[in-house]
Amino acid sequence: MNEFITALTEYTFLQNAVFACLLASIGCGVIGSYVVVKQISFLTGGIAHSVLAGMGMAYFYNASPIMGAIIAALVSSIMIGWINLRWKEHEDVLIAAFWSAGMAIGILFLSRTPGYNVDLMSYLFGNILLITRSDLLLMFSLDMVVLAFVFVYYKHFLVSVFDEEFARLRGINTEFFYILLLCLISITIVILIQLVGLIMVIALLTLPAAIANQYVTSLHKMFLLSAVICAVISVAGVAISFGPDLPTGSVIVLTACCAYFTSVIFKQIAGVK
Amino acid sequence: MSNVVIDINDVSFNYGAVPVLENISLKIHEDEFIGIIGPNASGKSTLLKLILGLLEPDKGTISKFNHDGKGLRNHIGYVPQHSSFSRDFPVTVGEVVMMGHIATSSRFFRYSKNEIELAKQVMQKLEIDEIEKRQVGELSGGQLQRVLIARALVCQPEILILDEPTANVDMRIEEDIFSLLKNYSEHMTIIVVSHDIAFISGYVDRVACLNRTLVCHNTESISGKMIEELYDAPVKMIHHHH
Repeated sequence: MNEFITALTEYTFLQNAVFACLLASIGCGVIGSYVVVKQISFLTGGIAHSVLAGMGMAYFYNASPIMGAIIAALVSSIMIGWINLRWKEHEDVLIAAFWSAGMAIGILFLSRTPGYNVDLMSYLFGNILLITRSDLLLMFSLDMVVLAFVFVYYKHFLVSVFDEEFARLRGINTEFFYILLLCLISITIVILIQLVGLIMVIALLTLPAAIANQYVTSLHKMFLLSAVICAVISVAGVAISFGPDLPTGSVIVLTACCAYFTSVIFKQIAGVK
Repeated sequence: MSNVVIDINDVSFNYGAVPVLENISLKIHEDEFIGIIGPNASGKSTLLKLILGLLEPDKGTISKFNHDGKGLRNHIGYVPQHSSFSRDFPVTVGEVVMMGHIATSSRFFRYSKNEIELAKQVMQKLEIDEIEKRQVGELSGGQLQRVLIARALVCQPEILILDEPTANVDMRIEEDIFSLLKNYSEHMTIIVVSHDIAFISGYVDRVACLNRTLVCHNTESISGKMIEELYDAPVKMIHHHH
C-alpha cells in the first residue's frame, strides 16, 4: 500500500488512473442506479458488447476508436430500445442478437485491418494505466452530458422508471425517456470502457449501485452512495493490482464482486434496512 | 340527471381471438360513485384501461366529458391494482405522492412550494403524513394503497378510477378506504372495480356487473339470483341497509 502511495506521487500515469476512477464513478453511480432499479443489466451488457462493432469499424477506417465506440453505443441503444418497445415478448433474444452481432461485426472489421492492433485488448479488458490527459477530458465531458440530462429530467426519469403506466397516463412520453435513458447508459459505457473494458463494464454498472440500493431510501441518495462505492472499489482495484502487476480491470471487477457479496451477506445477517 | 362524464358506447374488445368485452354501453355521471364488479377474468381491468385510454376499443367509442380524445387523461386519477415496481425500489412515500404532479410540474430536480403544500394536505387527509420518509417497499398493503390513492388525488382529478383497491388489505382497512372514498365521492366521480359485490354495495351509488357483457343496477336491486348468474355459482348474500 505504501508502495502505491509513493508511486502515486511520482508517476503521472497512476495519477491519471486515479482521476479516471473518480470520473468514471460519477457516471457509474448515477447511471448504474438506473440500470439496477430498472433491472436492465442484461440489456446494458448487450449495448456494451455491441460497441465493439463501432470500434472495429473505426480501426478499419483509421478513425478514433473511442468515437466509433460512442457512435456504436448510441446507435445500438436506440435500435435496441426502439425494437424492444414494439416487440416486447422477445427482449432477451433481441439483446442476445445485438450482443453477438456487435462483437461479430467488430471482429470482422478488425480481422481485415492491417497490422492488427494491440489496443484491442485494452478495449476488451481495459487498460487504465494507459489513460491520457485527453482521455480524462473526454470522460469529464461525457460525465457532464449525463449529469445535465439527469439533472433536468430527474423527476421524469423517476416516474417513468418507477411506474411506467402511471407516467404514461400522466402524459409523460415514456418511450422517449426509455430511449434517452439507454443513450445515457451507452455514454456511460464508453466512459467505463477505458477503465475495465467493454466485457466487464456490466460489473461497474450494476454492483456498486446494487450495494448502495441495500442502504438508501431515495434514488438521488443511491446516486451518491453508489458513486462513492464505485470510486472506492476502482481506486482500491488500481492500488491492489499495482504491486503484483495484475490486470487492473480484472482486479477492479473482482473487488466489486467481493464488495457486493460481502454486503449481501452483511445485510442477511443484520437483516434490516 | 347530472352531466355524463364518461360515455361508453357499444364497446367491444378482444385480446387476439379471445373476446374480452362485448357490446358494453355505460354512461357514468358527474359525482357518481360507481362500482364495477365481476368474477376474475371478466374484463374489469380491461374496461378500466379502455376508459383510461391505455387500450383502444376494437369497436364502439368511449367519450370523456362528451369529447372524444386522450387529451382529457389529466382529469383522471388512476390507482392501479398491481403495483408493478419492485419492493426494494429506492423511493419514499413522499416522493411517490409528489409524482402526482408530474404532468404539470417544471423540469429539474425540485418541486414548487405549492406542489409540496398540496401533497402535504393530501397526505394528512389520508393519514400517511407520518410515514412520508419511509421507503414504499416497507409499507403494508393498506398503507401502500393509501399512498397510491394520495398520488392519484394529487393529480387533482375530476374522475378517480381504482382497480381492486382493497385486494391486498384486511377487512378493517377495506372499510377505512371505502369510507374515505365515500367522502371524496361528494365532489368527484369515482369508479371502483371490485370482485366483492357484497362489500362495495354498501358504499357505491350504482353497481355495474361485468362478465364480458354488462348489466347495470342500482344497489337496492342486487339479488342473490343475479349474483348467481354473474358468478355461475351460489354466493352468500349479505344484506345492507341503505
